[in-house]
Amino acid sequence: MAEITHAGRWTYRGVFLALAALVVFAKLLPLHPGPGRFPGPDILVLMACAWIVRRPDYLPVAMVAAVFLIADMLFMRPPGLWTALAVIGLEALRRRSFMLRDSGFLTEWLTVSAIITAMFLANTLVLAVFVVDQPGLGLTLIRLITTLLVYPIVVVLAARAIGIRKIAPGEVDRLGHRQ
Amino acid sequence: MARQSGSSEEFARPLRRFFVGGLVLILFAVFVLWRIDSPRAERFRAALVDAVVPQMDWAFVPVTKTVELFEGVQSYARLQQQNQDLRRELQQMKAWKEAALQLEQENAKLLDLNKVRLDPALTVVTGQVLADSGSPFRQSILLNVGAGRDGIKDGWAVTDGLGLVGRISGVGQRSSRVLLLTDSASRVPVTIQPSGQQGMLSGDNSTLPVLEFIEEPEEVRPGDRVVSSGDGGVFPSGLLVGSVVLSRDGRLRLRLSADYERLEFLRVLRSRPAEVIGGDAALIGPLLPEAAAMMPASEDLSDG
Repeated sequence: MAEITHAGRWTYRGVFLALAALVVFAKLLPLHPGPGRFPGPDILVLMACAWIVRRPDYLPVAMVAAVFLIADMLFMRPPGLWTALAVIGLEALRRRSFMLRDSGFLTEWLTVSAIITAMFLANTLVLAVFVVDQPGLGLTLIRLITTLLVYPIVVVLAARAIGIRKIAPGEVDRLGHRQ
Repeated sequence: MARQSGSSEEFARPLRRFFVGGLVLILFAVFVLWRIDSPRAERFRAALVDAVVPQMDWAFVPVTKTVELFEGVQSYARLQQQNQDLRRELQQMKAWKEAALQLEQENAKLLDLNKVRLDPALTVVTGQVLADSGSPFRQSILLNVGAGRDGIKDGWAVTDGLGLVGRISGVGQRSSRVLLLTDSASRVPVTIQPSGQQGMLSGDNSTLPVLEFIEEPEEVRPGDRVVSSGDGGVFPSGLLVGSVVLSRDGRLRLRLSADYERLEFLRVLRSRPAEVIGGDAALIGPLLPEAAAMMPASEDLSDG
């Protein structure tokens, strides 16, 4: 019996992996190479946050690390740093997911915003300490702000299209287990 | 997770915390390793990209073409306007073409008179753009030519037929990465044409890279042609890069000649390191003692 719920969980994990692959693919498309583009939101981080807040068991920490590390490598970022920050940030969010389950969306948005901002800050600081070339502060700021603003859209899409919703109090799965 | 099955979680929690801590440490170690031994890490990255991205080529092409098709349809709306603009431009171009033909003939004649030999080592490999960098802060693209069949090497110049686009930085077996001139890590020594001023072109993630370290900026005017100078031996000299513009913040910037909006087929220039001329004393000057001692017989012959 336990295997059936296990299978369901793995389906959702597979869905996350497929979506992450799609995001990476879309980013790599050679549509408008070159500068001058508005730095868009970091969809991978937003997806991971929305997943972790709603269904922490659908996104194990090893999967987060693997997906972000591959993205680091393919996107020409310093490998490992953003992955490490994502793991730390998402674990912090995972610890708060029980609390966030009972509160409204505004609280969730603020919490996620605070964590993502901290991740961006830590990234900038570490890169500065290690004297790595960085993009301008303005560009990073625009990226952070768009990322935070797009979060509700990602949440709505995750809930409507894929069915990643918060677990209601007393909700049971098909076999009658409490979640 | 199942909250009621707390007993198993109680055991798992310290173990899990240990695992996460270890994971974060390993990831930071990867970052530090990359920082310490960047070339090796970048080689590994190039190998990884080389293994992954050309595999996705079959999927890239249809999606890219479809999007381009839709963008083409959108531009039909402005067809009338575009048509007029193009006609006007064509008229100007005809005048230019006439001038260019005359100049070409004149140039050919002069070259023939001078017996100038153009650099025969400068051959090209044409490649197709495979993928974007994926990050808004990294201005680089991936080409489908690599070290394996095409013998691409790090540092070779890449043009789009008209102007310089960037340089090869990172090669795999089947793919190579082009660092665009607009990347914040890109520095290219350039010459500004009529005044002959030397400068450095450095990218800053904007469409117009900055001209720096010009000796006498007052001699440089907006509109001046800028070519690569060949200093440092990275690029062949004389490749067209763009024209000078004065930005609103009062800095001299460069409008690139290469069409960065449509980077599709690019030429990689096969360049070889310039020959180093050593032994300057052997060219001009008195014969050295041992050389003089070796040749008395021949000297006698020539005297006689």
